Amino acid sequence: MTTKKILLVCSAGMSTSLLMTRMKKSAQEKGIDADVMALSSNEATKLLAKEKVDVLLIGPQVRFMKSKFEKIVADAHIPVAVIDMKDYGKMDGEKVLATALELITNNEN
Amino acid sequence: MLEKVEEIAGRIGGQRHLQSLRDGILLSMPLIIIGSIFLILGNLPINGYTDWLADIGLASIFSKIVNGSFGLMALVAVFGMAHSLAEYYEVDGVSAGIIALSSFVIVTPDLVSNAGSGISYAYLGSGGLFVAIVVGLISAEIFRFFVQKNFTVKMPEGVPIAVEKSFAALLPGLMVIVFWGLVYLFLGLAGIDNIHTLLTNTLGKPLSVLGGSLWGTLVIIALNSIFWFVGIHGANTINPVIQPIWLQNTDANRLAFQAGKELPHIVTNEFMFNFVWIGGGGATIGLVICLWLFAKSKNNKAMGKLTVAPGIFNINEPALFGLPIVLNFKLLVPFILAPMAAALITYFSMASGLVAKPIGIVVPWTMPPIISGYLATGGKISGAIIQIITLAVTIVIYYPFVKLMDKSQLKEEAQEESHELSKTI
Repeated sequence: MTTKKILLVCSAGMSTSLLMTRMKKSAQEKGIDADVMALSSNEATKLLAKEKVDVLLIGPQVRFMKSKFEKIVADAHIPVAVIDMKDYGKMDGEKVLATALELITNNEN
Repeated sequence: MLEKVEEIAGRIGGQRHLQSLRDGILLSMPLIIIGSIFLILGNLPINGYTDWLADIGLASIFSKIVNGSFGLMALVAVFGMAHSLAEYYEVDGVSAGIIALSSFVIVTPDLVSNAGSGISYAYLGSGGLFVAIVVGLISAEIFRFFVQKNFTVKMPEGVPIAVEKSFAALLPGLMVIVFWGLVYLFLGLAGIDNIHTLLTNTLGKPLSVLGGSLWGTLVIIALNSIFWFVGIHGANTINPVIQPIWLQNTDANRLAFQAGKELPHIVTNEFMFNFVWIGGGGATIGLVICLWLFAKSKNNKAMGKLTVAPGIFNINEPALFGLPIVLNFKLLVPFILAPMAAALITYFSMASGLVAKPIGIVVPWTMPPIISGYLATGGKISGAIIQIITLAVTIVIYYPFVKLMDKSQLKEEAQEESHELSKTI
């Protein structure tokens, strides 16, 4: 299994970095090979121009950026989703990780 | 009704010109903060320190550094805005940025003296911010128009792509620069010798009434809270429009401070981010402390533990979405009132002279309160004390609402427990 690259995006990459830590922990506990990154929308745009990720998750507070990112990754067939508000607020790394992996699997099929 | 607010907030947040404006200002932030560090270093609150600095010749170097970093806000912003907008249109951002930078200098009036000519620092910094916005956005629009219309130099086959690319920006860039040259010419013919004063007076005046006055500030605080209440990043949507005003006020204070004059403004960038929105939008520091100290229900206790640490660094998404505050009418009232109270208290204590005004040091918004107030006022204890007071006030404002919410949560949890119990029996 290859490493799953999960990209989290919010306004400044601050609050998503909290979630990132928890997702990494959850991945470690479950033995899942996942690379989780948290970036600001600008940094994310730059990164996506250079490399591919497996899934892109957007913080609910900047959900208006979804269409912008959908446009950016349209050719690369990367699934884009807004993180559930409840999961985001609880910083539920386990659940968001599960959602991310599910999106990746659905995308691959 | 709420859906309408959400839709409007989303649309503003996603608007490409406003996004570019925000990106442009964001690009200048590192320089502003670096400049602020030297502003602090040059003015440590120690007796005799500033005189000593001047004696050993460091004072002038520090102020040179501040002018060359903090003072280049508009120059960096014009590049950043054009860059971001061009990238949005998927045309070359760096070329668009450089051409906008050139256009900005072209429309800025020269200073001529016996020693030679140049342009004033005043317009490279916050004083030129409005021209930077207009020039940056319009330049990028003209640039992408010609690129998209394929109005570029065509190279014969066999020319390396890198070479062709370097010529691609040539004709569109020429059009942009000719455009601004003509603007400068016609403004001069019309008797307007300075586009900066023109734009600051027309665009800036009404905005500064909103952004610089106490009443306008209260309106913005209410809007910010309402946007966050529907779950849209409040600061992200409102700031592009109003932050230029706050930064201008910050910079005006900086210049006055460096010149040893009275500080002209209270409502500045730091006033909003460090004094009003303590703990994040909605001044939620009071909320998370109430949860952390006083909550009895399991859910709220857990939320208290989760939200208090990021809250100290003014990050409140966990509270906003986890508690949640978003669409939680039990918390709407304090969520609007607490930051307003913080604004009023801070404003009047600064206006009356009890508390030092912010001297133009831009403190990162993630700096914890008490420390941030001390730094923003240039090392005045009063700046820290007022934050302790507003912090206490936000706790008092949130307390009854948290208690009420906690009570109903406790009831729910008790019901659930008895439910589970009856199931097992």
